[in-house]
Amino acid sequence: MSDKIRIALTKGRLEKDTVGLFEKIGFDVTELRDKGRRLILEVPGQDIEVVLAKAADVITYVELGACDLGVVGKDTILEHGGRYFEVADLGFGRCRFALASKKGSDFYGGVGVKTVATKYPNVTRHFFEGKRMDVDIVKIEGSVELAPLLRIADGIVDIVETGTTLKENGLEVIEDVVPISARLIVNTVSMKLKKERIETLAEMMQKAL
Amino acid sequence: MKNYDLLTPEGTRDLIFDECAALRSISEKLRVIYTSHGYTEVITPGLEFFDVFNNKSRHYPQEVLYKLTDGKGRLMVMRPDTTMPIARLVGTRLRTSPLPLKLFYDQTIYRANPKESGRDDEFYQSGIEIIGGEVMRSDMEALSIAAEVMQSFEAEDYRFEIGDSGIFTMLSDKLDLPEHELDDLREYVMGKNYPALDDMLSRFGDNAYARAVRGMTRLFGGSEVFAEAEKLLPDEAKPVLHRLEKVYDSLCALGIGGKVTVDLGFAGKSSNYYTGIVFNGYIEGYGMPVLTGGRYDKLIADFGVDTPATGFAVNENAVADALLRRSGGMLLPTPDVMIWSDNDSIVAAIEHCRKLIADGLTADYTDLADINAARELAKKRGCKRLDVVTADGVKTETIG
Repeated sequence: MSDKIRIALTKGRLEKDTVGLFEKIGFDVTELRDKGRRLILEVPGQDIEVVLAKAADVITYVELGACDLGVVGKDTILEHGGRYFEVADLGFGRCRFALASKKGSDFYGGVGVKTVATKYPNVTRHFFEGKRMDVDIVKIEGSVELAPLLRIADGIVDIVETGTTLKENGLEVIEDVVPISARLIVNTVSMKLKKERIETLAEMMQKAL
Repeated sequence: MKNYDLLTPEGTRDLIFDECAALRSISEKLRVIYTSHGYTEVITPGLEFFDVFNNKSRHYPQEVLYKLTDGKGRLMVMRPDTTMPIARLVGTRLRTSPLPLKLFYDQTIYRANPKESGRDDEFYQSGIEIIGGEVMRSDMEALSIAAEVMQSFEAEDYRFEIGDSGIFTMLSDKLDLPEHELDDLREYVMGKNYPALDDMLSRFGDNAYARAVRGMTRLFGGSEVFAEAEKLLPDEAKPVLHRLEKVYDSLCALGIGGKVTVDLGFAGKSSNYYTGIVFNGYIEGYGMPVLTGGRYDKLIADFGVDTPATGFAVNENAVADALLRRSGGMLLPTPDVMIWSDNDSIVAAIEHCRKLIADGLTADYTDLADINAARELAKKRGCKRLDVVTADGVKTETIG
């Protein structure tokens, strides 16, 4: 069996943080830093191949076994679900899902059905199911903050880091939904067939945090 | 109106050439293994009442079932599984048959997967069920046949993994969690979601059962697992552990020790029918288990006959995919001989084909009027021999 392991990284910030982690471990990350437009890269001397992908695709590749491991945000995991092992909280990429509405408005008031705008309909549905609330969900692709301002929604469920965007648009957090951070996920078969290599890498990554 | 006349529905596909051949050859291999051990085939309907798949010990979430209604408005489903129809069969037509019953099946299964997930909604599943046998003996028989099955695929590498849902059941009972939290816990154990597990169990402090749940999730691998589990698990869980170890040792004694692993982190799902030993088979090149099985002692009671049972199922499409990907398959098979005849020698050509076939060759009558077109076709198909049948008799041409 090939000893090579393949790890998919979510392009952007999680990628940079993971590369930083690899550097701390002592891996040669020159190729990862100086990647040009390539999407599959090598970590020299480690038999590790790095694949760069969009967050949701990281999950797809790991779930189907095209990649053994993946680094992806809890936000994407919650929205997409799927079958894989979620073995470590890498701690970086920390933020949260929160419910927000126009400052001063009473989101939970009244008996009417509320409309909630979000990029994450599954997370939103699950959250309100837990509250036994029927809500109308509107899927928005871009800046969700617009929806309450344009009066198409009573509130939004979105990722909040500092809350500055909300504040500048006259919105405020009503309630935190769930905390988010980067997770290390593993394909269920790889975990068994390549146990040692995967556990060793996972351990090194966690120690370097 | 948009027409879909050129598409197959998502999750389904046409199987052609090598894809068919690979699937059929796997199916045939399995059939030979089962029948040589004395198993008998059953075929159950592709359509069943919804109620068959919605009972106490096992229910399928509505989302995964393809549903329709019959003429009386009753809810029907395309079968998502064969074990439950077999349980129904044991509770009805087979209820007076002598036990243990040893049955096998080989038929399609339908499951509505999430859109664009890349999974098959329709696939061939082949498996066995042992109904009413003594526990240790039938577990070992099911496992040894499953091991034979895994070996028969001749995959580059394979692993055979065993566990027991009884350990989790015992430990989680002691934690006395409300139902929804128990479901979460189960999900975390199954997903090896270590951080969520640690969060959830931290409130139990130094509780031995909580520590055991946390520890068992990480305990998978070879025989070393048992030594560690001995230290980790409370005494109440030891009988299950020791039985599992005995099974592991027996599999090693059967000579597949190097291929067998143990995963104590098995919790099943709340909707699952497994009650004891569970096992999975993995092959190199496929990202999900290709074989799943286990003991289900309560399921058949839901159909009126209280008898223990065990069995397993193989996803034949998954195995065929993995093996074809390795061999790079997808070829139109080449016949040994192709035959062409002129208009007056059609009968003679057919007789000539029969003679070649009787001699053990594959003979393909080209069905073309033009001999040059036949030569061209033989060349394209990679066939080296074209037999030309005319009133003058048979002349063999070498192609290529």
